[in-house]
Amino acid sequence: MIVPLNHILLLSGLLFSLGMFCTLARRNLIMMLLGIEIMLNAAAVAFVGASLHWQQMEGQAIVIFILAVAATEVSIGLAAILVVYRRTDSVDPAMEAALWEKGGRP
Amino acid sequence: MSILTLLFYAIALLIVAATAMAVTRRNMVHAVLYLVLSFFGTAMLFYLLGAPFLAALEIIIYAGAIMVLFLFLIMMIRLKKLPGMFFPVGQLLPAIFICAGFLAVSSVLVGGNPEGWTPMPAAQASPAAFGVYLFQTHWLAVEIASMLLLVALVGAYVLGRRVRGPSADTRKEAP
Amino acid sequence: MQPATPLPLSLIVTAAALLLPLLAFGVIMLATRSRHRLSAAISIGAAGLSLIAAVYLLVQHWQMQAPLVFQTVWLVSGQMAIPIGILLDPLSLLMLTVVATISFLVQVYSLGYMAGDPGFGRYYGCMSLFAWAMLTLTVSSSLLQLYIFWELVGLASYLLIGFWFDKFSASEAGKKAFVMTRTGDVAFLLGLVLLWLQLGTLDIPVLTDPAAVAAALSPGMITLTALLIFGGIIGKSAQFPLLTWLPDAMEGPTPVSALLHSATMVAAGVYLFSRLFGYFSLSPTAMAVCLAIGTISMLLASSMAMVARDIKQVWAFSTISQLGFMLMGLGSGSLFAGVFHLTTHAGFKALLFLCAGVLIHRFHTNDMFEIGRLGGRRLKATVVCMIVGAAALSGLPPFSGFFSKEMILGQLLASGHPTAFLAALLGAFLTTYYAFRLIFILLFPLETDDAGHADGHGAHHGAWGERAMIAVLVCLAGVTVVLGFFEMSLHDFLARGLALDEAAPAHFTWLPMVAGTLAVAAVLQAWFEFGRKKARQIGWVERIPILADLFGQRWYLDRLYRYLLDTLVYRGVSRLFTANDRRVIDGALDGLGRSTIGLGRVVDWVHGGMIQYRLMIMVAAVILLILFIGWGG
Repeated sequence: MIVPLNHILLLSGLLFSLGMFCTLARRNLIMMLLGIEIMLNAAAVAFVGASLHWQQMEGQAIVIFILAVAATEVSIGLAAILVVYRRTDSVDPAMEAALWEKGGRP
Repeated sequence: MSILTLLFYAIALLIVAATAMAVTRRNMVHAVLYLVLSFFGTAMLFYLLGAPFLAALEIIIYAGAIMVLFLFLIMMIRLKKLPGMFFPVGQLLPAIFICAGFLAVSSVLVGGNPEGWTPMPAAQASPAAFGVYLFQTHWLAVEIASMLLLVALVGAYVLGRRVRGPSADTRKEAP
Repeated sequence: MQPATPLPLSLIVTAAALLLPLLAFGVIMLATRSRHRLSAAISIGAAGLSLIAAVYLLVQHWQMQAPLVFQTVWLVSGQMAIPIGILLDPLSLLMLTVVATISFLVQVYSLGYMAGDPGFGRYYGCMSLFAWAMLTLTVSSSLLQLYIFWELVGLASYLLIGFWFDKFSASEAGKKAFVMTRTGDVAFLLGLVLLWLQLGTLDIPVLTDPAAVAAALSPGMITLTALLIFGGIIGKSAQFPLLTWLPDAMEGPTPVSALLHSATMVAAGVYLFSRLFGYFSLSPTAMAVCLAIGTISMLLASSMAMVARDIKQVWAFSTISQLGFMLMGLGSGSLFAGVFHLTTHAGFKALLFLCAGVLIHRFHTNDMFEIGRLGGRRLKATVVCMIVGAAALSGLPPFSGFFSKEMILGQLLASGHPTAFLAALLGAFLTTYYAFRLIFILLFPLETDDAGHADGHGAHHGAWGERAMIAVLVCLAGVTVVLGFFEMSLHDFLARGLALDEAAPAHFTWLPMVAGTLAVAAVLQAWFEFGRKKARQIGWVERIPILADLFGQRWYLDRLYRYLLDTLVYRGVSRLFTANDRRVIDGALDGLGRSTIGLGRVVDWVHGGMIQYRLMIMVAAVILLILFIGWGG
C-alpha cells in the first residue's frame, strides 16, 4: 500500500503553484520558461498518480506526450528568447514590452 | 505505514524543497541545477508509482536534455544585473495571491473527493507492456508528436539563424 | 405555428399587398433614390399591385360572415407572447381598399405635381413607407401591432411634412405635428399598458367582444382605458384640443396633404375608434366624451375655415371638422354612419386637395384671392372637379357626402342627442358656406389680369404630368359622384361580417329636405356675399372684428399653448430639469468620464505589454472558472 491518490494530487498542485509563481513573478524570460516546465512536470506527476489509482496505462501514455510538448516548447521558447536577447540586449519581459511600445521593431 | 509510504513523503519533500529553491534563486545556473535535482526526485516518484519507463525518460529528457538546453542558453547570453528589486512588489503580491488562491481552490476540490482518500496498492507497468500499449492504442498520437518535434526543430533553427545581408538593410529602411 | 397546413390564398394576397410597398421603400431608399423615374415607377408599381390585391380581397370576401384572423407569435418573453397577424373583416377590408386606392391615385398625381423636384426619389420612398405602414395598420390584428404602425405612420407624416426641410416653417411644422400627435400617443400607450396588465392580451377580436371584456374588467377600468386610447385618437385625428398641428402640416407638398392629412392618416384615429367600437360602446362616458369632442372640434374648425385665405388651410380646417363629424356619428352609437362618412370623406377631400394642388402648382401661390385674380377659373376641368368635391363636402344631394352626412344627422336625432343634432346642423351650414365662399372667390374675382398669362405660364410644365393629374381628378370626381349610391350595399357588407345589431340606418323623411334647404341657403348666402356682381367679397364674419380676429387666430389656441408652455414647462418644470441636468446628470456623466479615464489607466497599466500581468489575469480567470465548474457543476 502506498499513499492515497489525493496526496499525490496535492503534491502536484503544490508543484504547479510553485511553477505558476515562477512564471508570474520572476522578471526574466528564461525563468518564466522554467516555471512553465515546472507546471508541465506537476501535471505529469498527477497523471502518473491517476494512472496508478485506476490501474490504467492511459495516464502514462499522456505523460509521454507531455514530455514531447515540453521538449518542443523549450526548444522554440529558448530560440525565441535568444532572438529577443539579440534585439534588446535583455531578457526582461517588461523591457521587451517597453521597446515595442516605443514604436516599430526595436 | 509501509516503507513505500515513507519513501513517498521523503521524495515529495525533496521535490518541493528543490523546486522552491529553484524558483527563488537569483543565479539562474543555480536555479537550473536545483531543478535538475527536483526532476531526479520526480523520476524516483515515477518509479515508486509504477512507471519505470517514464522515470527513465524523465531523467533522459527533462533532467538531461531540457535542462542542458537551458544551461546552454544561460551560458550563451551574458546578463547584466537588472536595476531595482529582485521581486518587484507590484508583481510579487498579486502573484502570491493568485498562487495561494489556486492552491486553496485545488486543495478544496481535491479534498472533496472521498474515494481518493483510500491508499492505493502498489503496481508496476513493465516497459515492454507499456510500449506495446502505447503503439497499439496511441500510434496516431505518437506520429503527431513526432511531427510536432520536427516542427520544433525547424522552428528553432529558423528563429536562431542570424539575420544578415539584405534583410538588415530593409530593417534600416523600415520606419 | 402553421407550416403544416397550406397557407390560405387570402393571407398570401394580403401579405403581398402589405410587403410590396415596404420592398419598394427599401429598394428606393437604398438603391434608386437618385434615379427619379425608376423610383417613381417602383413606388407606383407597388402601390398599384397593392390596390389590385386589396380590390381582389374586397371582392373575394364580399359575402364574408365572420372575420378572418391569421396570427403568429412574434416575440415570446416568459409568460408573455406578442402576436403579430392579419385581421380581415369588412371594416379592415374597406379601409384597406380606401387607403390603397387613394395612395395609388395620389402617387400617380405626384408624377405631375412633384416633377423636377430634386427630392423626387426620396419623396416616393417616403410615400412607399407611408403606404406600407398605413396598409399594415388597417389590417393589424392586435392593438400593439396597430400601435407600432401608428407610430410608423406618424414618422412618415413627419418626413413628408418636412419634405422641403430647407424651408424653416416646413421643418417647424413637421416637428409640431410630431410632438402634438406624440402627446396623444403617450396617453394611447398608457392605455395599452394598462389594458395589457388588466387583460393580458391586446387582440382586437378579444377586445371587441363585449361579453368577454365586461367579464374581465370593471366599468371604471373600461372607461379609463377607453379615454386613454381616445387620447391617441385626438392626437392623430387632430381633434380638440390637439388640433392646431393639422393646418401647419399643410407646409408639406399638396399630394401629401391629400393623402396623409385628409384622406388616410388622420382618419386612422377614427378608424381606431371604429375598430374598437365594441369596446368603447361598453363605456357610456367614453362615448359621451367622444361625441362632445367631435362636436367641439367640428364647430371650432368650421369657424376657423370661414376666414382663412390660404386654400389649403381651408381644406385642412374642413378636414378637422369632418373628422369631428365622423366622431359624432360614432359617438352617437352608429358604427356604420362614421365609417361610411370616413369612406366618402376620403374620396371627396382627396379630390379637393388635389384640385387645390393643381391650382397651386399652376399659380405658385396658396392665396385664394390671388389665384382667382390670376385666372384660376380658366382651368375648367379642375374647377368642375372642385365644385363636385365642394358639393359633396356640403352635402348637396346627388353627391356622396349628402348620404353620409344625412345618415349621421339622422343617427344623432334617433339616438336622442338634440343638442348635438342642432350643432351638427349649424356645422353643416358653416361647412357649405365656407366651401362655396372659396368656390365663388375663385370663380368671380373682383379684378382680373389673366389675359392669356396663365396658359402661357403653365405650358412649360410638361403636358404629360398635367394630364396624369387631371386624370386622377376625374377618377376621384367619378368616385365622389357614384359612391353615395352604394350606401345600402356597404351597410349590408359591414353588417354581415361584423354582426352589427343596429337596425338599418334611421331615416327621417323630412331630414334630407331640411339639410338640403340649409345647404342651399348657405350656398345662397355665400353667393350673396362673394358671388354676385358688386359683391364686396367680405364675409359676414369679417364684418365683426372680434369674431374675425378670434377665428383668424384659431381661437388663440396656439397662443394658449405657447403661454402654457412658457409658464408651466419653461419656468416650472424645465428649471427643475435644468438643475437636475446640471447637478445630477452632468455630474454623473463627468463622474463616468473620470472613472472611465481612471479605469483606462488601470487597464493601460495591465495592457502595457507586460506579459506577466496578462498571464496573471488569465490564470485568475481560469481559477474562477474552476471554482464555477467545481461548485456549479
